Amino acid sequence: MPKKYHISTKATHLDMEYLFKFRITRGENCINCGKCTKVCIYEAHKREEGDPRKMAAPNTAVCRNCFRCIQECPRGALEKSLNQDFLNNDGSYWKSHMLIALWKQAEDGKVPVSGAGYRGPFTGAGFDGMWTDMSEIVRPTRDGIHGREYISTAVELGRKLNHLSFDDKGRLLSKTFDTVHLPLPLVFDLPADNLKGNVLAALAKAAAEIETFLLLPADGLTPEMEPYAGNIVPLLTHQDIDRYSAFLKKARLAALVYDGELLNNISGIKDKMKGICGASVIVRIQAGNGVEETVSRLAHSGVEIIHIAADYRGMEADGHTTSPPRVLKDIIRSVHQRLVSERIRDEVTLIFSGGIAMAEHVPKAMICGADLAAVDLPLLIAMGVRLYEEPEKFLVFPSGLEEIPVPILARRVINLMGAWHSQLLEVMGAMGIREARRLRGETGRAIFFEEVDEDTFGKLFKNREAVNL
Amino acid sequence: MKPSAVTIKETPSRFRHQVPKYKITRSDACINCGTCARTCPYGVHERVEGHNRVNPPIDYKCIGFECLSKEFCCIGKCPRQALSLSLNPMYDTLGDYRWTADIITATWIMAETGYPPTRTDLEYSVGNSGGGFDKLRFKFPANPPHVDTSEISTTIELNRRNDGRGNVVISTPMYGGGMSFGSVSLPTMVSKARNATIWNTFTCTGEGGYPENLIPYDDHVITQVATGLFGVREETIQRVRIVEFKYAQGAKPGLGGHLLGEKNTESVARMREAVKGTSLFSPFPFHSVYSIEDHKKHIDWIKEMNPQALVSVKVSTPNDVDMVAVGSYYAGAHILHIDGGYGGTGAAPDIAKKNIAMPIEYGIVKVHRFLKDEGVRDAITLIASGGIRTAHDLAKAICLGADGVVVGTAELIALECVRCGNCESGRGCARGIASTDSELADLFTEEWATQRLTNFYHAWNVQLVEILQKFGMKSVKELVGRTDLLEHIDYSN
Repeated sequence: MPKKYHISTKATHLDMEYLFKFRITRGENCINCGKCTKVCIYEAHKREEGDPRKMAAPNTAVCRNCFRCIQECPRGALEKSLNQDFLNNDGSYWKSHMLIALWKQAEDGKVPVSGAGYRGPFTGAGFDGMWTDMSEIVRPTRDGIHGREYISTAVELGRKLNHLSFDDKGRLLSKTFDTVHLPLPLVFDLPADNLKGNVLAALAKAAAEIETFLLLPADGLTPEMEPYAGNIVPLLTHQDIDRYSAFLKKARLAALVYDGELLNNISGIKDKMKGICGASVIVRIQAGNGVEETVSRLAHSGVEIIHIAADYRGMEADGHTTSPPRVLKDIIRSVHQRLVSERIRDEVTLIFSGGIAMAEHVPKAMICGADLAAVDLPLLIAMGVRLYEEPEKFLVFPSGLEEIPVPILARRVINLMGAWHSQLLEVMGAMGIREARRLRGETGRAIFFEEVDEDTFGKLFKNREAVNL
Repeated sequence: MKPSAVTIKETPSRFRHQVPKYKITRSDACINCGTCARTCPYGVHERVEGHNRVNPPIDYKCIGFECLSKEFCCIGKCPRQALSLSLNPMYDTLGDYRWTADIITATWIMAETGYPPTRTDLEYSVGNSGGGFDKLRFKFPANPPHVDTSEISTTIELNRRNDGRGNVVISTPMYGGGMSFGSVSLPTMVSKARNATIWNTFTCTGEGGYPENLIPYDDHVITQVATGLFGVREETIQRVRIVEFKYAQGAKPGLGGHLLGEKNTESVARMREAVKGTSLFSPFPFHSVYSIEDHKKHIDWIKEMNPQALVSVKVSTPNDVDMVAVGSYYAGAHILHIDGGYGGTGAAPDIAKKNIAMPIEYGIVKVHRFLKDEGVRDAITLIASGGIRTAHDLAKAICLGADGVVVGTAELIALECVRCGNCESGRGCARGIASTDSELADLFTEEWATQRLTNFYHAWNVQLVEILQKFGMKSVKELVGRTDLLEHIDYSN
């Protein structure tokens, strides 16, 4: 059995205030009695340091919404509301509570645990419209993170053979391909352009420490990224291969931007890469209208790894003018299904990205048919970046970010990935699945809202009136 | 109909202020004439004798927009038009999609008065989740047969196997969910048990052992055997009428119980025979159960140890919950308790709460249908839980195919839980319900809590009886599986 893969996490605090949800205000009729300091167990209320006769302004960032100060203030002098910042940050996809959860996981590296049941909507678009299955009694089960069993989250990147062939003496005739081993089904996709040197270095360092990769445009490769060359996937156009040959020599994976010319000359381009380096080649393509067709053609022409990137909200980047854009869940299912029906799915590795915002999206993407996912914006949120969707996508970097040492930023990213890894184990443990590779395309081990709703309520209630007639 | 032990008593909040839905703003135009204090019958405005100024409005006493049409409304009476009425921004901080602020507020009123709210501005029959129960509506007939409420029975039998074991009957088709000592405080547990006794129904110990304070209520306690086996002993199995195997829990299906270290206090650790301060994660699953045959062996073990006890099997709602259900029947279970994916918890990973296993609404239909097809539906009691927030959810769950329900969160709301969700960590619940901290667990008395629960059960029973009456039914048992009495706002016209 391989050594157990584990991401060590360590609480790493950044000295800045991030988003918080509640705001408490103290009215003028406060009589400074101090009742609130006694009832609040989170220490939101304190007396003023300089003048203990008065109450200090409430520290609402620590408020956990227990209502005790509100309900016990003898004068009813305290009021609470949703923090305006929290409301402003809420997007259609990237919700404020998601940003806060990502930030906290980057702080402590722990699986978010809370009391009381789920509080969100019943279902939603994309990944929110599916539940993962679990096992009990009639199926094998696993222990999850608290057990001793080994649950492997490893995946292999590269071309695989559909079958092996042997000669009549039993000798292997097939030529097997090199694959790249990843201990967790995640790579880092560059989350934004024009990142500062320390942020880039932290991403690369974190990728190296947890044994994964960072996709980075080749023109952003600076000498300070040199130490992490083994964990960087340079992203370039096929026309630029010669220009970056020095860096390519050190790379284990390289990514080429898709264009029509690349598809027409794929074997020539692969040969050219082989002449320079031993890296496996990823072709990166935007998820859009007809992406299934392009992926199919790439797969049939021998491309080993295909990275399909949706936009930052996990939607098709272009295409559909008549229908609403598809979401990542449906894109993955459609591409996967296409390759399955063409009997070539097992030969290629599919990476999907765009809108991978929570740990749950990783197993869900895999169940839909991805071999692995690429994560982007959460890596920046771990460093304190805020994301606004309105009026258009906009990132707010915390002031002083460029001063924060690389190891601290890297530690935050590692913490986040550690928490995600543990959550992946929890989901797999509950499903009774011991190898992440077996998640791929296991739609039978998920519950899709449209299907289950149709199967239960649709059957019961649809057209019943018509039948009664 | 309520058992004779039930008496309703007004039991107000233990806090000075309630959470206000409305806000009255008084502008600078106010001349402190005191007209508002004289006109408002609800006590929103106060003008203390000898004070120059009127006190700030007490928002939570205001009945809101329905008051505007009243002759005495302060807004119209104010000679300077200095008062205005709006929704209080504080109300947005209470509740969520599933448990809306209105449902929480209504539940508080029920626990206080014993009846559903008389005010008309609270939507407490459905939540805002946009699915499941929140999309189902009753289709009441225009002219139902006349039934007097005194003729309507809400009792159900829990043993349908005809196997010579006790015929346990409960007076209202619901009982209290398993909450361990450790996850909740002792006064919470004891109050739940006292109420269960008053209502002739049950409460459940959860998996943290059987505190001695519950012994007087043995006949109304279900003790749980969960994967951690905390505090499970022969004598605890032998003293009850129902033993429950907890295979899984809706909030964290496929994961064991979580009790984080800070809540594992001295007394909790003693009960669980564990070390104080350590986090206690129950394993998942029972490592002695990997098949229905193993499961039967478990059930036989309990039946051997307590020849009268009924056996309940609590499972979550995976894709194959129907197979689990039928298997449990053949293994000898009396009660199948399915706990849906959106169920409550004292502590669970957020990823599990949201994503693992299906919501209870689907689970009930699936299991009921499958048991019927197998021809065994009448020989097992189907209990549903995991998101039953209101009496309407209860009745809908029964229409979908359950015999009764288990409520957890709703009971805690009756004790003034605000669903802040901080029960998992630190000293636990700031409101003293789900805490074993010596100071916090002392925030209310058992008398107060028992009466609140009794009132709350009564209010639900009243609503259930009303629903049965509108259908012209004399027993809640007639409602089981009557999906034809429901409509779904997405599918039905």
